[in-house]
Amino acid sequence: MTSGDLFLQQLINGLNLGAMYSLLALGFTLVYGIMELINFSHFNVFMVGCFIALGVLKLLGMDGQSVILHGLPLIGVLLLTFLITMVSSGMIGVGIERLLLRPLRAVTGPAAMILTIGVSYILFNVILIGIGGDTRNFANPLPSVSWNIGGAVLRMRDLLIWGITIVLMLGLTYFVNYTRLGKGMRATAQDPEAARMMGVEVDSVVGLSFFIGSALAGASGLIFGLYYNYAKVDMGFAAGLRAFTAAVLGGIGNVPGAMLGGVLIGLIEAGSSQLIGQLWADVVIFSILVIVLVFRPAGLLGRQAPNKS
Amino acid sequence: MASAIITLINRPFASWSREKRQMWATILLAAVFAIYPLLTDDDANIDTIANAMSYATLALGLNIVVGFAGLLDLGYAAFFAIGAYYYGIFTAYQIMPPWSEAWAPLAYVGLVEKINQGGPDLVHFTMSFWLALPTGALVAGFFGVLFGAPTLKLRGDYLAIVTLGFGEIVPILARNMDSVTNGAAGLNGVKGPTIPAIKAIGFGGYSFGVDATPYYYVGMALVALLIFSSIRLRDSRIGRAWMAIREDETAASAMGINLRNFKLLAFAIGASFSGFTGVFFVSKLQVATPEMFNFSVSSMLIVMVVLGGMGSVWGVVLGAGLLQLLQTWILPQTTNVLHDIGHSIGSDMLVAADLVQWTQMFFGIIIVVMMLFRRDGLIPATRAQPKLEMEEQHADVTRGGFINVNRIETWNPGTGNALEIKDVTVRFGGLVALNKVNLTVPAGGVVAVIGPNGSGKSTLFNAITGLVPSEGSIKFEGAELIGLRPDEVLEKGVARTFQNIRLFPKLTVLENVLIGQHCRLKTLPFGAIFRPPSAKAEEAGALRKALDIIGLFGNRLTPRANHAVAGLSYANRRRVEISRALASRPRILLLDEPTAGMNPNETLELAEQIGELNAMGLTILIIEHKLDVVTRLANRVTVLDHGDVIAEGTADEVQRNEEVLTAYLGRAHRAKIEAQDAAAQAVSAGENANG
Repeated sequence: MTSGDLFLQQLINGLNLGAMYSLLALGFTLVYGIMELINFSHFNVFMVGCFIALGVLKLLGMDGQSVILHGLPLIGVLLLTFLITMVSSGMIGVGIERLLLRPLRAVTGPAAMILTIGVSYILFNVILIGIGGDTRNFANPLPSVSWNIGGAVLRMRDLLIWGITIVLMLGLTYFVNYTRLGKGMRATAQDPEAARMMGVEVDSVVGLSFFIGSALAGASGLIFGLYYNYAKVDMGFAAGLRAFTAAVLGGIGNVPGAMLGGVLIGLIEAGSSQLIGQLWADVVIFSILVIVLVFRPAGLLGRQAPNKS
Repeated sequence: MASAIITLINRPFASWSREKRQMWATILLAAVFAIYPLLTDDDANIDTIANAMSYATLALGLNIVVGFAGLLDLGYAAFFAIGAYYYGIFTAYQIMPPWSEAWAPLAYVGLVEKINQGGPDLVHFTMSFWLALPTGALVAGFFGVLFGAPTLKLRGDYLAIVTLGFGEIVPILARNMDSVTNGAAGLNGVKGPTIPAIKAIGFGGYSFGVDATPYYYVGMALVALLIFSSIRLRDSRIGRAWMAIREDETAASAMGINLRNFKLLAFAIGASFSGFTGVFFVSKLQVATPEMFNFSVSSMLIVMVVLGGMGSVWGVVLGAGLLQLLQTWILPQTTNVLHDIGHSIGSDMLVAADLVQWTQMFFGIIIVVMMLFRRDGLIPATRAQPKLEMEEQHADVTRGGFINVNRIETWNPGTGNALEIKDVTVRFGGLVALNKVNLTVPAGGVVAVIGPNGSGKSTLFNAITGLVPSEGSIKFEGAELIGLRPDEVLEKGVARTFQNIRLFPKLTVLENVLIGQHCRLKTLPFGAIFRPPSAKAEEAGALRKALDIIGLFGNRLTPRANHAVAGLSYANRRRVEISRALASRPRILLLDEPTAGMNPNETLELAEQIGELNAMGLTILIIEHKLDVVTRLANRVTVLDHGDVIAEGTADEVQRNEEVLTAYLGRAHRAKIEAQDAAAQAVSAGENANG
């Protein structure tokens, strides 16, 4: 491979990672924008989402690379899997908000954030105890169609991942900007008190942001499975931390920022794995997190969350 | 129920003072732990308790950072790793550079030795455990400052995520820097501690082997030392500064606390506790691998602190003990019981059950349950408040100033202008909040700043006290204030109160006022822990002075000295805030709407008290809406509107000023006045014409 090919290949890899991180980062950013809460349970909602997708595919008869689908059945299976995964992940998020975080809404200080660490632990152990800690082969019904571009390989699943991500992002952008609930969401992010007085049902908005964020985390988990071909109980930590870095890089609370940040982090990870080795990619990404927070805490596109003073 | 048991135990000792009871309880506890190894011959139990002691020391260190200073550190295990690797590298047999004569001096003092394993001579590091303990603490403390420094500006939740990142980077480095850490395989054969022979008393030396008992006693000594240090720090100027930062950073800064230094200090001391433990832990295990220090360790420590009570010294020790008990005794024993039941009733599910796998699940459940139902932990850091007697609750509005005023120092206001503000401009983005404002406060005078809401009054105070950046010049007694941090401004003698009251809500009245004295006290960590006579005298003096200042308000604050300010009435919170400002020994007092929310009687009382402070020589700059207060107190009045000074003069003069009327009453009103004037003129013109 020439260096140009390598670059192209890492660009493709980076965009896949970026798609995954963007979707995950959106969940962080939506919840932070509205509640100023870093939701650590999001890390493992992502992981649980991946396992839900694995389960759905299994139920549909898919196991490993045993079944390869084409045409309409493929589209049907994928749509169904995404739908079920996203809805059930979303419900987990709503459940966490409704049962555990709502009682703490009025409590100041780090209590809510610490609680989400506990929730994250519980989700982790539910999977660990219920399913086990070993690596699971992720079912993959996609035909292995690929194209060579120079020395680089573009696979069909790359296009699929990008396509799905773009559709989800466009949908979210439309929802946040043009629908009644989306406007309520933005109003709540600016000032929950004022939004409440203007008739926005803040409780529904908060629940909704958890639902959307967690559903996107589920989609992201499914993409993880399709891309890496495995699911493992400890997959949430590294991916979650990278996605959070992405949200901060783009400007936390900022929806387009999370998308941009996710893609950038994906590209950075692919690039630094290529240049200085996979083991050091984490160090590079965490260094970016620290540097952004220290020198430009509002991120690239600016923070849209209200500033607590 | 717990409190009922405590009451029952306390009953025979009711005549003892609280301190005496605490002291004897501590001694009894220490004695039980000291003789325990003599009573059991099960080395595994002793080993388990020694491990629990390691975790207790870590939890104590984390408690300084999270509990005292409120800096949520999720990567605390990193410092544990640093201490452990520090000792591991300097005793293990994995890292051995080639020998050269340059090492000879170190060999002479016993830090290294020349060994030969076939091949060239190599250097083997042989650092003594007893030297590694304090130096390991120093090294970890240094890294605490290094990690802390870039994160200082971050608010709590960001700090959590950055420390999480740091906590992740350190094991990665340990795994990848093979030449220093031996990579993923880790260091093994780390030397246990030895006690060197002392021939003079016929002591032949002692080497800690695999027996857990000596480690148990070292661990116990470490726990005792760290409990002692934590309590001493908590009850000192330093602990109060940390708690102030935890409660309200802005107010802490305005009350003279250097945020940067005290946050770094918390990081450094917390990290050095951890470094200490790292050396101990690795000498006990005799191996160090990257997996020993990952996120699960950090989060287990968080669970300990959350379970015991954030900021509660005994609480986190209890939390560490309970978690260790859960992992090593409760879960295995319960599993055995389940197995027995399973065998007897023939349930395969119960026979196969293994609750030890559920350890981390219980961690998660503990966090969630504690946060939902008992956020202050099992042993809350804040004590129950004494109930007030009827008599203590009673307070009449007094007239004519303070009570017991003779105990408070008087001031020499000096001559000339105390405060000179020249062309001060403050911008928030495109908005000009203050536009070339000029204002002087004569020494010993009272100047009032009035103006409609949003006119920039509080911004002016924020500019003077360094809370917002400003252009121009603000000189206090000749010294420029612009560019100084809020704590430096306070040190110059400029103290303030806030419009929306910024006390430290969970701290007591007394603690709030003591924090006001922060910049006038000198005690450093060493003095706080070991309390030499000078530190003792300083603390006693500070306490006396705080009580004297609280006493100014008579029955209003003194009976409530040990109450958390969050539970005080609005007016009393205002009084505490003024007391806190007075405690900093100010030369000028900036009061931002001190009587807001008070009834007319209380307003009059406070106005007279402010007047008395001024009579004692304190220069005062006051923002006030109540014009009777302004006319009663102020020599000069400055009127702000939309960031501009629109009038200046005595109270009478500004009350007649037309621009002031417009600003307060609106343009329509002015138009009305102008129309009336015009009509009057027309009438008089007509009269003239007629005449």
